[in-house]
Amino acid sequence: MTKPVLRGLVITAFFAVVAALLIPVFVPRPAFIPGFAPPPDMWPRTVAIAGTALGVLALIAARLRPEPPEPVEHDGSSPTRMTLRFAGVVAAFAAFLALVPVLGFLVAGMALTAVMVLMTGERDRRFWIVALSIGGPVLLLVFFHSALGTQFPRGIFKPFGF
Amino acid sequence: MLNDILTAIQAVATIQNLLIMAAGIWGGVIVGAIPGMTGTMAVTLALPFTFYMDPVPSILLLVALYKGSTYGGSVSAILIKTPGTASAACTALDGYPLARQGKAGKALNMALYSSVIGDFISNLSLIFFAAPLAMLALKIGPPEFFMLMLFALTTVAGVSGNSLLLGLVSAALGLLLATVGEDMYGSFRFAFTPDMQAGLAIAPVLIGLFALPELIKLIVLRADNREEAAALGAQHVTRAEFMGSLRSILKGSAIGSVLGAIPGIGPSAAAFFSYGEAQRSSRNGANFGKGELEGIAASESANNGACGATMIPLLALGVPGDVITGVMLGAFMIQGLTPGPMLFQTNLHEIYMLLIGMLVSSVLLFFAGKATMRMFSHVSHIPQTLLTPLVLLLCIFGIYSISSSMFDVAVLLVMGIVGFGMFLLNIPTAPFLIAFILGPTLEENMRRAIAISRGDPMVLISTPITWGFAALIVFVIAVTIRREIRKNNDRKALAS
Repeated sequence: MTKPVLRGLVITAFFAVVAALLIPVFVPRPAFIPGFAPPPDMWPRTVAIAGTALGVLALIAARLRPEPPEPVEHDGSSPTRMTLRFAGVVAAFAAFLALVPVLGFLVAGMALTAVMVLMTGERDRRFWIVALSIGGPVLLLVFFHSALGTQFPRGIFKPFGF
Repeated sequence: MLNDILTAIQAVATIQNLLIMAAGIWGGVIVGAIPGMTGTMAVTLALPFTFYMDPVPSILLLVALYKGSTYGGSVSAILIKTPGTASAACTALDGYPLARQGKAGKALNMALYSSVIGDFISNLSLIFFAAPLAMLALKIGPPEFFMLMLFALTTVAGVSGNSLLLGLVSAALGLLLATVGEDMYGSFRFAFTPDMQAGLAIAPVLIGLFALPELIKLIVLRADNREEAAALGAQHVTRAEFMGSLRSILKGSAIGSVLGAIPGIGPSAAAFFSYGEAQRSSRNGANFGKGELEGIAASESANNGACGATMIPLLALGVPGDVITGVMLGAFMIQGLTPGPMLFQTNLHEIYMLLIGMLVSSVLLFFAGKATMRMFSHVSHIPQTLLTPLVLLLCIFGIYSISSSMFDVAVLLVMGIVGFGMFLLNIPTAPFLIAFILGPTLEENMRRAIAISRGDPMVLISTPITWGFAALIVFVIAVTIRREIRKNNDRKALAS
């Protein structure tokens, strides 16, 4: 399947699901609507139907007028490897959100930064990796806490102040 | 009026405001000079900090970042042939060859002079045209506003990316996301969790969409094609060189001011147009692309010339002309101000302060650029592998500090992934953002118009002004489709 066809399918499916499944369930019509005001589902339904139509058009255009492939610039890794990297990013984000209540914002932020730097492929500048992973979150926490009074979530290290 | 202006000058000319603008310019130049970091990113990253500031200084900070980053894009364009921002792409065509000839300092100076002149002229156009446009806009009602915003969205969708269809899809996605939460009559829509009942905040959506995909791209694709940096070399632009480029600078400033004021066009298109025009009309046209100072002058005066002008539709009509002014619209809203014609009646003092501040920031751009040219030339060497994770950190801490909500942090991260998905599918993100910000106002005007007309949707095309906007929408669609067909035919001809 070519990218334009996949794109058309994704767009059509997304908007169709919103129009047919999500709006009836998650956009309830109130019992009373004042005057001649349009109901709350009118606008999202219009947009979703228009989106579905655009998706179908994209699909037709992909079939009738195939575009030459537009290569995405990368380091030459295999698609599997790049998919794994992407999965790693998603996992790291999810882990950060899950770890904040346990480890606290600061420590979870340090872990996320270190993981992100390593995932970019950076291995040589070890001093800077450590300094950024530890110093970056500490500086930002101190700044936002002292200058703006933000209270960041604390976790198991609460007795130590973070 | 004179009294109002003098009061505004006094209010702007405080040490605090000047420092804020200088910091914005410097910050913008640094971010603009780093390849992969865009002006949009600079403005979006600063958004959380503005939450705690007074309205005018916060907008001035964002404007200063915008101007600084637009100029900063030329630093890496000239030194390493990698435009820091898209609007500096033409600058690289002549800037890098000049740098290879040992004249990088000369090229950077010309870029600075042209940027400052373009910026100043653009600010004057803002001062002269925003208020009359706002007065005109006061006379129009909900149906006209609905059609105006639809026109702005169509234009942005048409010029962003390579396909009008995908631009419209992106706008539809933004409009749909904007419906999440409570509507104008108190109904909850798509409130999957209690956090979503209040709707999605602007800051995490736009920061996630514009800042995080760069990090994900770096991790997943790991593409880095930077050229070796050139030394600064010869520094000064001679009087003869400057005078030789003056015509292109003035023409570029005018082009930037006009194109910048049209929603959706922005600095990049202005720079390309101005460069092409300068090449066509210059005596040194044949030397363009080989290291011609006039090429840099044309490109830089136009891209900075668009900066102030993009604020015209934002301030006068409440319609953002590009992504950065879209972010600024978000900043205005965070501050409790609604850009549009009423702003000129309810917050005239703030408007005067903003306009005067913008003029002052043009002068600051000159001094900041001059004083730190050598220092900023090193910025383009900062490794992306360390810088981009730092951006993520800034985003996460900044977003949490705005609302103290982990839900907003989750929205930020999810929008980063969505932004990367859109990049892979070649769906432009600019229409998404503009639609997300304009969505609630667009819907409100549509529902009001239909309610006033006792349920008749034809009210949306019932007056001469709405017909005018409808005609403009059809025109934009026709022109964009014609351009796409032409491009397609050219490609086919090239292939055969």
